[in-house]
Amino acid sequence: MSNPRRRRGTALTAALLGAALVLTACGGDTEPTTDTAAAAKTRTVTAGNGAVEIPAAPQRVVALGNTTQPFIDIGGKPVGVTELSASELDPIPAEQKATYEAATKLGADTAEVDLEKLAGLKPDLILVQVPDDEFEGIKKQLEAVAPTLFWGLDTEWKAFADALAQAGNLTDALSQQKTQFQDKIAKIKQTYPAIIADTKFVAVDRWDNSDPGTFVISDFGCIEIAQGDIGLNAPKAAAGADPLGWTNLPFEQIAGLSKYDAILYPVDAAGQPKKAFAPVVESNTWKTLSTVTSGHALGVFCPGNNSYGPVLQYLDSLDRALAALPAKK
Amino acid sequence: MTILAQRHDGPDATTAPGPRRRLLGLVTALLVLSALLVLSVMIGSTEISPSVVWDALFHPSADIDQFAIRDYRLPRTLVGLAVGVALGLSGALIQAITRNPLADPGVLGVHAGASFAVTVAVGVLGITDIQGYMWFAFAGALVVTLMVLALGSTRQGQSPVVMVLAGVCVGAVLGGAREAIQLTDPEAFDAMRSWNAGSIVGRPLDLLWPILPLLAVALVLALVVSGPLNAMALGDDLATAQGVHPARTRILAVVALTLLAGGATAIAGPVAFVGLMVPHVARWLVGPHQRWIFVYSILLAPSLLLASDIIGRIVMRPGEIPVGIVTAFIGAPVLIVLVRRNKASGL
Amino acid sequence: MTARSVLVLRRRRVAVRLEWRSLLVCTVLAIAVMSVAVLALMTGSYQLGPDQVVSALAGGETGLVHTIVVEWRLPRVTAAVVFGAALGVSGAVFQSLLRNPLADPGIIGFSQGSFTGALIVILVVNGTYLQLVGGALVGGMATAVVVYLLAYRRGMQGFRLIVVGIGVSAMLESINTWLILKADLEEAMAAAVWGAGSLNGVSWGQVVVGGACIAVLLLLAASLSRPMRQLELGDAAAASHGVRVSPTRLGLIVVGVALTATVTAASGPIAFISLVAPQIARRLARTAGITLAPAAFVGALLCLTADYLAQHVAPTPLPVGLITVILGGGYLGWLLFGEARRRL
Repeated sequence: MSNPRRRRGTALTAALLGAALVLTACGGDTEPTTDTAAAAKTRTVTAGNGAVEIPAAPQRVVALGNTTQPFIDIGGKPVGVTELSASELDPIPAEQKATYEAATKLGADTAEVDLEKLAGLKPDLILVQVPDDEFEGIKKQLEAVAPTLFWGLDTEWKAFADALAQAGNLTDALSQQKTQFQDKIAKIKQTYPAIIADTKFVAVDRWDNSDPGTFVISDFGCIEIAQGDIGLNAPKAAAGADPLGWTNLPFEQIAGLSKYDAILYPVDAAGQPKKAFAPVVESNTWKTLSTVTSGHALGVFCPGNNSYGPVLQYLDSLDRALAALPAKK
Repeated sequence: MTILAQRHDGPDATTAPGPRRRLLGLVTALLVLSALLVLSVMIGSTEISPSVVWDALFHPSADIDQFAIRDYRLPRTLVGLAVGVALGLSGALIQAITRNPLADPGVLGVHAGASFAVTVAVGVLGITDIQGYMWFAFAGALVVTLMVLALGSTRQGQSPVVMVLAGVCVGAVLGGAREAIQLTDPEAFDAMRSWNAGSIVGRPLDLLWPILPLLAVALVLALVVSGPLNAMALGDDLATAQGVHPARTRILAVVALTLLAGGATAIAGPVAFVGLMVPHVARWLVGPHQRWIFVYSILLAPSLLLASDIIGRIVMRPGEIPVGIVTAFIGAPVLIVLVRRNKASGL
Repeated sequence: MTARSVLVLRRRRVAVRLEWRSLLVCTVLAIAVMSVAVLALMTGSYQLGPDQVVSALAGGETGLVHTIVVEWRLPRVTAAVVFGAALGVSGAVFQSLLRNPLADPGIIGFSQGSFTGALIVILVVNGTYLQLVGGALVGGMATAVVVYLLAYRRGMQGFRLIVVGIGVSAMLESINTWLILKADLEEAMAAAVWGAGSLNGVSWGQVVVGGACIAVLLLLAASLSRPMRQLELGDAAAASHGVRVSPTRLGLIVVGVALTATVTAASGPIAFISLVAPQIARRLARTAGITLAPAAFVGALLCLTADYLAQHVAPTPLPVGLITVILGGGYLGWLLFGEARRRL
């Protein structure tokens, strides 16, 4: 739902970032420098903009761009944020919403950040995830105010959560979420081994920005997690090609979905087809599609795919959907 | 693309073909359009055999491929036809009343008004389906054009140049306001991305029916004013001497073109270039005779639109390219070749 | 109606009066620019007293106060003035050259081409800021050259240049729409912000380099301004006054495009100033044709005021380009409205 068109996390970046984190975690934390109090209170972490010295326990964090929601999700309490859109804000838990409301808004998402307002907050750490060129434009200004950590848009979500927790000194809260995530994945794998092995799935989607009368075969966002962590068999773009989800398919291609065993389509928290997707469900072609008439179209709720909280909600929903799948003939 | 150039007495005055050739051209244009209408139903992003197409139209049943023809390709073709006619005719009208071969309906703020209204509908009121916001587009186009007309009017009537400048100003102000809304609201921005391209995919016929009577009224109005507009091409004074009321003619023409361009934009979004290019080409083909220009525009514009749409369906299979993007690619080279070949020289 | 548009009014003014009026208008505009500049230096969401600002400017402050006043506010104000002036002159050159009140460098595809170049760098290559600037410049320049060559056929004609420019721009606009449509939301928005033109985060480096280029180009424009005025009267008339028509025209096109290109490189394409500044200037100075100096001052004032409003008056900080459009378009509309009434 939120940011459906997020870039694919490339495995390479993730691996590099992970490695860098491990290295810095070892290097920074365990080696208190010989210097005095001031040095002991800082540590060095590495992000997309290189190694940065940050406070050991940052108190006044500003979270810009895509860092806002994931940082709050791991229990961060930022003093300044960029605005979340309604659909990003909607599915997040009440106490996280309160944290967001309490923070000073420094500008609309991705539009201009009010740098002077930001400086006025006297932050001790700034977290940013925006497109590369946009960061370069304000890099110097941010760094003049406080230590700044930047991540590119293609940062893989798990590595991103690790990095944010590391930066904000919130690793305890994160490890709890990680345990829940691993348990959930293990449970799904144990419960549906046959379905995961033999079913040809396809994830379809439609967004507010889609042309009327078009849908997409989705291969990024939540489905990537189902494919990568659970091993669900669903279409993927060839390496190096644009994601399948970038190609709007006209409704006349709904008929072609019959070559898959099961369809995953997006629903809202209440289980109703997502508003943008409703035109697909209401079309005659969907209603006459054999996969749909035989009950092999499953609604799945994906509130977000950039942090553990929303991903856990997605896995719960996927779990319920798989349980409802009729046995294969 | 709303640029005002000076009036030029281009190649038209010298190379007007005779009535016989005009008629022949008309028949050819009609045949091309008919062929494209058939092709538009036959060709899509999936392969459906001609026999299924035939059955879908004449022996309907609840088959999934038949639904594809009846629910998607047929409406799309009819929408393309209607939108094309409206765009071509509105372009011919604006070029006639501004006496400027490079004006398109956009100069009167039609697109700006429609886009602004749709952005407000999407960003502020949270309307996301086209059935909801098409009326905003229509109303926006209408209100803004009337505003431009009022701004561009003096007590003696409308001055084409002031009207066009007023259109550009109003268009710019609204465009800025629209972008400001979009850049502070990612969701509005996102939803508007595809609308901005201009497309006729997925518009059910229900969308077309309420607009159709308005287009019909405008069509009649346009044909009524085509004669007086012809007289006005030589200047208001000469036209008045021939018993034409320039002010009244201009108002009727603006009403017609607003309905046409507003209706087309409401359904398809801002499809650029068709309204600009087709009347221009028509003028090159038939010379400076408004009625002929109108008739040619009515036939050529939907042909350009449907041909572009068909190409958009097949070049990037399984995906599609919105028609508004293809039209410029087909139209612009033609325009450039024509302007190089003709001794178009106006200044 | 002659080829020169009906917008040209009140031609029969005494030449001397025109010059005085121009001088007066320029002086008043300069004072206005200074006042807004002082205001912009004093205001910001980071609260600073006037004494702090003055002392920071005098070099008496360190740390964050120094950074905010000297490194943030001052280059931004300078950039707004210099870039605005450059855009005003650039538009004036094109409107004079094409004898068309709605011409600007965009007419030969520069704006669309530079946006295409920038979009390709942002969305396809995912490049750095420097690459973005390079992409924009290459895109803009290449388009301008292509349009010029396509329109060149046994000499250059304004009308053909306009038609070819429209055609090529329309194709590029389609590419741009397509790229934005296909892109990831955050990147598409970042591209749109860049495309609107923004002075957020402008640094001394950009201002100094850009300013130096602009200074040289403005001198060149000034040296061409006499033959430019003569070209307005028609090629034949200009030639009879000893103007070498083709080289002058090419030189003017190059200067006009280079001015816009410099601004685009530093801040993205700030819309509409080049279109409206010459028109507003002409109406304020009541000159018959396009004059460069008043256009430069109007451009500077427009850009500076727009950036002030974009930062401090809009509910959330906006790219300056959006405000220049609203401000410039609104003001020109108002002028036109008054003119249409007066003409009766």
